[in-house]
Amino acid sequence: MKTGKVNNVQKKDNASVAATSEKRVVDHKDKDRKKDVPHPRMQFDDATRVEKAKKRAIVKQTEVRNRVELFRHLPQYEHGTKLPHLEYKFFHLNSNSVHPAVYKVGLRYLAGDISGGNARCIAMLQAFQESIMEYSAPPEKALNRDLTAKINSYVSFLIECRPLSISMGNAIKFVKTRIANLPVTLSESEAKANLLSEINNFINEKIILADKVIVRHAVTKVRDGDVLLTYGSSSAVEMIFLHAHELGKHFRVVIVDSRPKLEGRLLLRRLVGRGISCTYVHINATSYIMHEVTRVFLGASSVLANGTVYSRVGTACVAMVANACGVPVIVCCEAYKFHERVQLDSICCNELGDPDAISKVRGRDEVNHLKDIADNENLQLLNLTYDVTPSDYVSMIITDYGMIPPTSVPVIVREFRKEQIWSS
Amino acid sequence: MPDTHALVSDFLNKLKKRKIEGSKATAKLTAELLRSVISQQRLPNTNQAGALIHAIKAIGDQLTAANPVEVAVGNIVRRVLHIIREEDVSLTTASIGGLSLQGLSDDDDDDDNPLVSAAAAAAAARTTLRPPSLQTLLEDIPPHSAAASAAAAALHHSSSSAGDSEDKTKSTDKNSRSRKLKHNVIEAVNELIQDIATCHELIAEQAVEHIHHNEVILTLGSSGTVIEFLCAAKEKKRSFRVFVAEGAPRYQGHTLAKELVARGLQTTVITDSAVFAMISRVNMVIVGAHAVMANGGVIAPVGLNMVALAAQRHAVPFVVLAGIHKLCPLYPHNPEVLLNELKSPSELLDFGEMSDCMDFGTGTGSPLLHVVNPAFDYVPPKLVSLFITDTGGHNPSYMYRLIADYYSADDLVLQQRPTS
Repeated sequence: MKTGKVNNVQKKDNASVAATSEKRVVDHKDKDRKKDVPHPRMQFDDATRVEKAKKRAIVKQTEVRNRVELFRHLPQYEHGTKLPHLEYKFFHLNSNSVHPAVYKVGLRYLAGDISGGNARCIAMLQAFQESIMEYSAPPEKALNRDLTAKINSYVSFLIECRPLSISMGNAIKFVKTRIANLPVTLSESEAKANLLSEINNFINEKIILADKVIVRHAVTKVRDGDVLLTYGSSSAVEMIFLHAHELGKHFRVVIVDSRPKLEGRLLLRRLVGRGISCTYVHINATSYIMHEVTRVFLGASSVLANGTVYSRVGTACVAMVANACGVPVIVCCEAYKFHERVQLDSICCNELGDPDAISKVRGRDEVNHLKDIADNENLQLLNLTYDVTPSDYVSMIITDYGMIPPTSVPVIVREFRKEQIWSS
Repeated sequence: MPDTHALVSDFLNKLKKRKIEGSKATAKLTAELLRSVISQQRLPNTNQAGALIHAIKAIGDQLTAANPVEVAVGNIVRRVLHIIREEDVSLTTASIGGLSLQGLSDDDDDDDNPLVSAAAAAAAARTTLRPPSLQTLLEDIPPHSAAASAAAAALHHSSSSAGDSEDKTKSTDKNSRSRKLKHNVIEAVNELIQDIATCHELIAEQAVEHIHHNEVILTLGSSGTVIEFLCAAKEKKRSFRVFVAEGAPRYQGHTLAKELVARGLQTTVITDSAVFAMISRVNMVIVGAHAVMANGGVIAPVGLNMVALAAQRHAVPFVVLAGIHKLCPLYPHNPEVLLNELKSPSELLDFGEMSDCMDFGTGTGSPLLHVVNPAFDYVPPKLVSLFITDTGGHNPSYMYRLIADYYSADDLVLQQRPTS
């Protein structure tokens, strides 16, 4: 069964049979595929693998000039070079390779329009739904194998636009398990309807309803007169604040923000628009402001099996300062984002962003000292996207399964995985 | 006199408007200002040192009130006061030494002069309580003549009529003594200015002891001392890399990176949020300081407390480079508030950027949005591994001891006491 062969999520690249521009063949035998497939978590410092991957890639990408040595195992491409190629491929080729809905989502990832684990996951699943609706199996092929191959090709395209988040990886695993488990007796339209409803259920249960449960648990932790701190912009934390405000609790919010994404501004705008009084600081001022704070609420991209929280870079700093000042740190994360991987530091597995975002400071020309020397061989610019917060900094994790300590995460992962395998 | 008034008010203006950047520049300007004040100060015939001290204290009070956060001003004022006291002591000792050849030969023997004996005993008791100062140690004054000089000083202060003290000091000495005092003080202040200017070199000389090959060093923001330190190590052919955190919202890390790259060092610029992520791969954190307080705590650019906590978590040494002019004899009470400055919020959020989503029609009318932009951070002494100053490397727990070398206990409070 395909379940045993399902590749692991994070670096799930080019396990597909994505066609190059010349060939139109969309199917390989299993054995051939195994030989071609690079290791699931491909390390980019292995030159032969990188070559193979490049040959199979839909999009040509140029590597950044000054790579940071410590991160040679991660891809670091120049931004702004992908878009023209993508447009060319889409309009000039037979778009058998990628469905337009998936293409659109990929472009939005590339542009940074969609960000945040939940938003990316939902957008991807909805794009898959559209493509499944319009899918029709070729006559001589089995539905589930062909559909799985198509999904693989979409996934590799999305990876080229932007590396997968862990939430997306888990959702893809879910979809592929469902496809593989389809009874062969179903007709094509029934199978498609089945899949669509399964994906709808996933989105509703695991994301939307889960968020409601988390908010219900979390507002019990907000008291009158609290000063709540949050970092960046997390959808779950925003919902908690808005709901608590609706319930009439009196509290104020401190939003800690950092470069280069400055996501806190978006959250600030939404909260202030609803009438919650906010304080806005940069991450450097965290120790200054932490003395006023009573609770810290953080979002997460994922929680790993050793209890460490994998989230936006800077979360670890905030959690550390909160710990030093004795302020409880509460992480809000839906259970579908948990993962059985373990990680000790932020270097082994991460995502590197656009280095130009570091050298250019938007809106303040007087501090743009680096723009002239960005090509100097002695200078490297490092733009990390994620970091890892050790579990001893986290007081509690609020999930849709309840409020748990970080050490209980592998238990949930185990139960969650069983549920995935045995249900339906 | 009018000259000094103009100079002083000009300097006060600059301090109030925060026009002077950096503690080294402030210290140098303060020292030069005080030097001109001293040279133009007219001294009375008796108690010159007292008059000088009074004048400097008055000015120092004004200066520290203009910019309480810039403690370097107060440091230099207190250094100058200490210099005046020391010079006075050494001059008095010299003159007493001249007298002792005639009269007070050996204090251990029976005192010939009964008037001096009682005072000498009291003064001796007092001197044993006073710790030896750098000046007295350097000039190698033996203890009994130190007691004698204290006795002479005590006599000068205690006797109400100037007549007695006048008899003690030779009248011909008077004018030369006053000229000598000013002259010595100005010389010492010149040395002080020289020390401030060259503190970078002395600190940079110690770089080779601390930086080895294949090291990874982390720093945040920018500091002239750090640049010289790292470049000195590079001169000695040590190969190392530097991670520079940019230090928003001033982005001084970018200037530092530019400087280091120009001098050929491998530099990587990271955001402040990535400090915890990268510090596990770092061997040492080297930073500059704005001021060092008496307990060993550091007033540093904002963000360094976070770096210090991360360094402690990963057992990475946190090294602070500071010239001795940054050592402040005061203890930091609530330093985040009292020794901090809040800068303009426009560096974080543009004015008017949030104006479209704030609705003042509803609610209590209290402001919905605060933007906080502190300039400094306080790093407690337990997070600092080492101070490197121009006098060498020190533990944070040792810094209080250096205060006795450079400052007098009487000068800690610059406000004038009401005349007693």
